[in-house]
Amino acid sequence: MDPVLLLDVILLLLAVTTAITAMAIRDLLGSVMLMGIYGLLMAVIWADLFAMDVSFTEASVGAGAATILLLSALTRTGTRERTGGDHHLPALVVVLITGSVLIHGTSQMPAFGDPQAPAHIHVAPHYLSQDIGKVSQKSSDGATRRDFGDHVPNTVTAVLTAYRGYDTMFETVVIFSAGVCLVLLLRPRSPLRREQADE
Amino acid sequence: MNIDGHLIAALLVLIGAILSMIRAAAGPTSYDRVLAVNVFGTKAVMLLAIIGFIGDRSGFLDIAILYGLVNFIATVALLRFVETKRLT
Amino acid sequence: MGETIADILLILGGFMALSGALGVLRLPDFYSRLHPAGTADTLAQLLVISGLVLHLWIDPNGSYLAMGKLLAISMLLFVTTPAATHAISRAAYISGLRPWTGDSATDDDNQLPDSESPLPDEGGG
Repeated sequence: MDPVLLLDVILLLLAVTTAITAMAIRDLLGSVMLMGIYGLLMAVIWADLFAMDVSFTEASVGAGAATILLLSALTRTGTRERTGGDHHLPALVVVLITGSVLIHGTSQMPAFGDPQAPAHIHVAPHYLSQDIGKVSQKSSDGATRRDFGDHVPNTVTAVLTAYRGYDTMFETVVIFSAGVCLVLLLRPRSPLRREQADE
Repeated sequence: MNIDGHLIAALLVLIGAILSMIRAAAGPTSYDRVLAVNVFGTKAVMLLAIIGFIGDRSGFLDIAILYGLVNFIATVALLRFVETKRLT
Repeated sequence: MGETIADILLILGGFMALSGALGVLRLPDFYSRLHPAGTADTLAQLLVISGLVLHLWIDPNGSYLAMGKLLAISMLLFVTTPAATHAISRAAYISGLRPWTGDSATDDDNQLPDSESPLPDEGGG
């Protein structure tokens, strides 16, 4: 049996168990810690699927930053969940209906890796026909253009770097400014500043 | 041919990770939970190093280094919270 | 020969990791759980990573970069695991968590009462 597949199955089961436990547990601090473990597990799973960038993000944001943000939220609230009165039947019905509609929708999707899937008929040939970063190109004046130093390993990376570069950069800017805002909102006021504000 | 030793080691570490996760869920004190999360992080770093070796991808090692750092920072942050109920 | 030694190191490291986690799960109180968490894990990562490095060392195609990264991970864990364990135990001691003695007379009030507990936790689950 493929060892990576075996580890994958165990890790996925573990991630589901962790998520359910984190929801079921009444102690919110324990919940936050289980969410940290969940982040670590998801990062291992992403790494197992060879999605290195996602795994990096999950490890630093899911396991590190999210834990600390949730903890700073806990400093403003209690650490015990209020008991009782949290079973809302209409909400359960709505969630079940939405979930079954979504699952019904997935049954219409093309099979995994199907060559006749729309994504493979329309855009994929366009991307595959160009060779940004994959080979050295002769430009019109005869000089050799070396995109990314010929180091792009596959088409997906070429598309990511060529088309999604600005996208990713400004996503990073958005996330960074969101982080700065959260730090500004959640920062403690120093006693000196508080006195000045009181006067 | 050298898969076997790696796979056995990975499974042993994985079972260890599951056991420490049970401790993190069970408590009973907050310090037990923090300790269990720290142990789990160490196990995850080992697991990543071994899986990266089985799959022959050195990118795993970068993630493992990141984990080691994040794990320590998260432990210190959790301790600060448990001790003082504040983070700063 | 070298492959066998590396495999033995790996399996021994996996066994140490498992036994450390078993100790964390099964030992009776917090202070005794510190022991497997700190020592067994440090030894386990040393054994596992030296096994991996030995594999790379024997392999003619093994990259020195991967070896260096593995050694960096090992050094990092070697420093941070005992430091984290020490910090947790110190925090628990300062907060007034008393060790388990096996004496039921003193162990009844061993855990801090929930209402006066400085711990934000009453053992949910």
